[in-house]
Amino acid sequence: MWWGGRGQSFNIAPQKEEPEMGLSGPKSVQESRMPEPRSRRLSSCLASGCLPGEQILAWAPGVRKGLEPEMSGTLICTNLRVTFQPCGWQRNQDTPLSSEYDFALVNIGRLEAVSGLSRVQLLRPGSLLKFIPEEILIHGRDFRLLRIAFEAGGLEPQAFQVTMAIVQARAQSSQAQQYLGITLSKAGQGSGSRKPPIPLMETAEDWETERNKQGARGWRVSTVNERFDVATSLPRYFWVPNRILDSEIRRAFGHFHQGRGPRLSWHHPGGSDLLRCGGFYTASDPNKEDIRAVESMLQAGHSDVVLVDSMDELPSLADVQLAHLRLRALCLPDSSVADDKWLSALEGTRWLDYVRACLRKASDISVLVTARVRSVILQERGDRDLNGLLSSLVQLLSAPEARTLFGFQSLVQREWVAAGHPFLTRLGGTGASEESPVFLLFLDCVWQLLQQFPADFEFSEFFLLALHDSVRVPDTLTFLRNTPWERGKQSGQLNSYTQVYTPGYSQPPAGNSFNPQLSVWDWDLRYSSAQILQFQNPGYDLEQCPDSWLPRLQVKCLNFLNSLDFPTGSCCQTGRSERHNVLSSLGKAPHYSSAAVTYSPWLSLGRQMS
Amino acid sequence: MWVCCCYCCFKFLKSLSALSNVCLGGWGGVCATTPREEIHTNEKEVTEKEVTLHLLPGEQVLCEASTVLKYVQEDSSQHGVYGRLVCTDFKIAFLGDDESTLDNDETQFKNKVIGENDITLHCVDQIYGVFDEKKKTLFGQLKKYPEKLIIHCKDLRVFQFCLRYTKEEEVKRIVSGIIHHTQAPKLLKRLFLFSYATAAQNNTVTDPKNHTVMFDSLKDWCWELERTKGNMKYKAVSVNEDYEVCERLPAYFVVPTPLPEENVQRFQGHGIPIWCWSCHNGSALLKMSALPKEQDDGILQIQKSFFDRIYKTIHRPPYEIVKTEDLSSNFLSLQEIQTAYSKFKQLFLIDNSTEFWDTDIKWFSLLESSSWLDIIRRCLKKAIEITECMEAQNMNVLLLEENASDLCCLISSLVQLMMDPHCRTRIGFQSLIQKEWVMGGHCFLDRCNHLRQNDKEEVPVFLLFLDCVWQLVHQHPPAFEFTETYLTVLSDSLYIPIFSTFFFNSPHQKDTNMGREGQETQSKPLNLLTVWDWSVQFEPKAQTLLKNPLYVEKPKLDKGQRKGMRFKHQRQLSLPLTQSKSSPKRGFFREETDHLIKNLLGKRISKLINSSDELQDNFREFYDTWHSKPTDYHGLLLPHIEGPEIKVWAQRYLRWIPEAQILGGGRVATMSKLLEMMEEVQSLQEKIDERHHSQQAPQAEAPCLLRNSARLSSLFPFALLQRHSSKPVLPTSGWKALGDEDDLAKQEDEFVDLGDV
Repeated sequence: MWWGGRGQSFNIAPQKEEPEMGLSGPKSVQESRMPEPRSRRLSSCLASGCLPGEQILAWAPGVRKGLEPEMSGTLICTNLRVTFQPCGWQRNQDTPLSSEYDFALVNIGRLEAVSGLSRVQLLRPGSLLKFIPEEILIHGRDFRLLRIAFEAGGLEPQAFQVTMAIVQARAQSSQAQQYLGITLSKAGQGSGSRKPPIPLMETAEDWETERNKQGARGWRVSTVNERFDVATSLPRYFWVPNRILDSEIRRAFGHFHQGRGPRLSWHHPGGSDLLRCGGFYTASDPNKEDIRAVESMLQAGHSDVVLVDSMDELPSLADVQLAHLRLRALCLPDSSVADDKWLSALEGTRWLDYVRACLRKASDISVLVTARVRSVILQERGDRDLNGLLSSLVQLLSAPEARTLFGFQSLVQREWVAAGHPFLTRLGGTGASEESPVFLLFLDCVWQLLQQFPADFEFSEFFLLALHDSVRVPDTLTFLRNTPWERGKQSGQLNSYTQVYTPGYSQPPAGNSFNPQLSVWDWDLRYSSAQILQFQNPGYDLEQCPDSWLPRLQVKCLNFLNSLDFPTGSCCQTGRSERHNVLSSLGKAPHYSSAAVTYSPWLSLGRQMS
Repeated sequence: MWVCCCYCCFKFLKSLSALSNVCLGGWGGVCATTPREEIHTNEKEVTEKEVTLHLLPGEQVLCEASTVLKYVQEDSSQHGVYGRLVCTDFKIAFLGDDESTLDNDETQFKNKVIGENDITLHCVDQIYGVFDEKKKTLFGQLKKYPEKLIIHCKDLRVFQFCLRYTKEEEVKRIVSGIIHHTQAPKLLKRLFLFSYATAAQNNTVTDPKNHTVMFDSLKDWCWELERTKGNMKYKAVSVNEDYEVCERLPAYFVVPTPLPEENVQRFQGHGIPIWCWSCHNGSALLKMSALPKEQDDGILQIQKSFFDRIYKTIHRPPYEIVKTEDLSSNFLSLQEIQTAYSKFKQLFLIDNSTEFWDTDIKWFSLLESSSWLDIIRRCLKKAIEITECMEAQNMNVLLLEENASDLCCLISSLVQLMMDPHCRTRIGFQSLIQKEWVMGGHCFLDRCNHLRQNDKEEVPVFLLFLDCVWQLVHQHPPAFEFTETYLTVLSDSLYIPIFSTFFFNSPHQKDTNMGREGQETQSKPLNLLTVWDWSVQFEPKAQTLLKNPLYVEKPKLDKGQRKGMRFKHQRQLSLPLTQSKSSPKRGFFREETDHLIKNLLGKRISKLINSSDELQDNFREFYDTWHSKPTDYHGLLLPHIEGPEIKVWAQRYLRWIPEAQILGGGRVATMSKLLEMMEEVQSLQEKIDERHHSQQAPQAEAPCLLRNSARLSSLFPFALLQRHSSKPVLPTSGWKALGDEDDLAKQEDEFVDLGDV
């Protein structure tokens, strides 16, 4: 693992900085309760690191254990997170949300208090602490473990307080909270200073731009769902075939599960399309016209299309959850698996099996779409989990643009966030019943691809890890809502929107007090520019200079075309870019044999944290 | 302009350093074939050109057969190439009729001695025959001759030859010839080594040793003592100059200075602490072969008093406290290694792709059940333990083994590799193997079973060592001057009988068979090659693949600075010594007893706390402390040994399996990018130099193998890309499943043929 895991690269060295005045958030409300003289100084210092709206509930001095070197510092519980601040460390104002030792309350998977030798208490939200803890263990859902030993000598009440505060805060935060109203000057200027911002796919323009980019001429942006009255889980806009009227769409979509009818995901330059849709609504009784509409939407002008059942051969949601739980148990630092049994234990989690199944299916579909220029419709009952996974993987395999940093982020935004993947539910934000980390499974698939084709991705492993760690950080709405509708409701855009349709509503004029919505893609809030630099894969090659290798492959390409005996001549006439895509998809047949599917370093992160 | 150059340089170097951690050793540059050729490969092409067999000096053809069909391995179907199968006293060679089409400059990483379709007789592992679809092991006299011959090689290649179209007479001759010459017990004198050496007398050996220290003279040992500053307490002795004392030991070796030389003779070199290496802090690694086991009380008594004397000598100051590490008990047995490897290698000797996908499902548990990786872990762990004793506790470590020639070699080389940066250069590594393995009397002849005299003695100890080294190289690429490709070709060289290095059991055996014993050196100077002369096997261009471009030599300093540097170096080497005896308050359970922890908290919590065993404790602490600090590639180097960190040496084990190949992917891609940047840095550097010194700087030879190479496969430089360049590795079953979902039945057949795309 080349950047050495969290322990090293993400390590924030204690920084000596001038005490800054930058933040004017509310100061701690509980200052008065803290008795010691030095704590007064401390707590004001702590408060300076707070976000607006964040309140310090309790804190206690402690020593971080388990990692060398042991560090003394302060454990702080706020209404948003639990954080450990090493002595002398100050939050960098440029990246107010970053800390290696931050645990968003939603991220706490298990909390244990330890006293002496014999007393260990597992603290669930709402439970009562039965003793004064000497040590506290915080297990993150993201495989991290924070182990804090409290200082003895008169400070026991504080240890008790902070532990109880965490327990209570967790109980209250089951409804995920946002770092509300981040009006940091930073956030406003952020989008301006960066390269092109990631389109959030919340405006018709975004969809139109993307459609043009893909060259999907037979398709248009439909506004039928602008008020979320077709389906709340669908984005406001989506792509439908040119010829289909909005009224037909409304009717046709009604026959699909949760109103999720067939929409375009990706248009292959060779002419084939990748569509996704939900299952047919069993109770519906469509009339002839509806059937015709559904058919023509599915076919979208192609003579024959392939309907792929996304759920076939892939793990069920429950399988994914179980595998992930097992995997986490295996990778936590206190895992009891002996080193020589590691491999079979890993196999036993079946996680890598599922990764392989996904890669395999995606690569099959990718060959269909690109090499055989056949349109494919992905159908999943809910259309919100595996469809997103497959469709994104297919695009990663077939479209070089999707492998760029920008392209990948917009891909995730489009196929996951806008498409209504229920992040909150799947990541366990609403209770355990429907938890299933499909998105993390997807990230692992991407990691495998990155391992296998390190020169073909603009982003690095480090970036994937940052994304992985971001899914539970409560600073943005990106991953903390289930549907685009909820997301819009929260950020207050819906109100302004429902009155009048103003295309430019999401870009409020400068100086307006309107709160621009932060997305997870605003990396500079959480990562320093040095860290963001590491998102780039230094080994990224080609594409920029296709000349270096394309011509050499042309003969091979022809050879390949002949052998395939394409049904239509269209492909042979296509230009360079087309051939390029076909080839890259072929070259990029991912490897899903066990020998190739690496046991990912992600997995070992937990071990290294210990 | 100048400023600009510098800035570019800096930028490149920065990206280099970012890359440096990514890269493995396997890199280099065979270009992808132009597809025109590959169209023809599978067709039988009757060319006018007769393919000539390339014979080495002294090599003789023993038997041959024509119209043999060699299956193209990567095709599960029955494609193949027709040609001649020849067996000489050196190799089995297949000469394809259309070989010429392949023989282009695309295979730049060509071995000059062993062709792509050559198998040296010593490289043959198992031979199978297929009779009516049934696979049987072939040995001895055959009554019936197979229609298909499958040869499993020790370098894990698998060859399949179809003999159906061959004349019966020829089949008989070639099959029995191959079986006899590869499997029948041989005499040492009949090794091809000798015929080659005799015939190649006149060949001038180019740069025979390229500075590798061979340790065959007193001078070499003194040099090593000097280098490691061991000469204060240890001395090189020549009591065994004519192998009078013992045939196991080399002519010269090193013992503690006060040890009387007659002691060495006492038990034929047994029971004598022999110096391996000295650490910068003065502690030393010693080895000793155990005294013969005796029943007789009298002799036991003598042994005991002898032993006491020896121990007194090395227990007194200036010698450090000695810790004895008995490798014969409480550690790996040779039997275990043998069993593990024979299970392990079966995972890679795959006849067809069905077999590959079958084993794929249970890959991890199969891997685990072979326990080869666990054996690697145990070796590395043992080496770390010893390193800890020497480095942190300043103790001498005495390795004890029956003959001190198997695990002793392994462990002591590993320790030196971890502690001594010199051993991580190519020359240093070669000298290390020369010192610990060749001169250390590792029985290569028996352990590799070169003579086929006793299968039970065949234990891949040296291979185990290379695999351990690979783990280190894989985890810390910038610390090594050589690449994993170097290790792979080194492991292949074990079976090439033109090099003397790995074909003798001891230096004594070599010298007696060379006629070099006594002073008769002049009379018959057989000139044997050593494997370290890589130019025998590889062209200079291909040799660049053996050198790690990421390795940065330790900066050399002029004399004035050296003194201060030496001090600093020491500081870097030694860890912050943790005031090593347990600090009073570390874990919260520290003072409590083991019993309580186990009973009350269960295993889970107890794993969080360090085990209370003192020894384990020191080890853990040493290990964890080292890993929590940034790595100094020129200092102490420890491997990770946790479950996920010990990996399969993919380049060596998977290289011939087409299914495991990632086309256009793998680390090679990163590596080629890296080399590109290095070249750019180099050219910029040259420009800068030009500006500084007006005269032309000598053109450095850039490693340009990877340049312009289109899409290399992950198995580069070993996989032969031309054969299956445009084939995505998709098993047909996946397609059928997709087809089922599609109700368009007419497409069924199309789906199936897609598998062959």
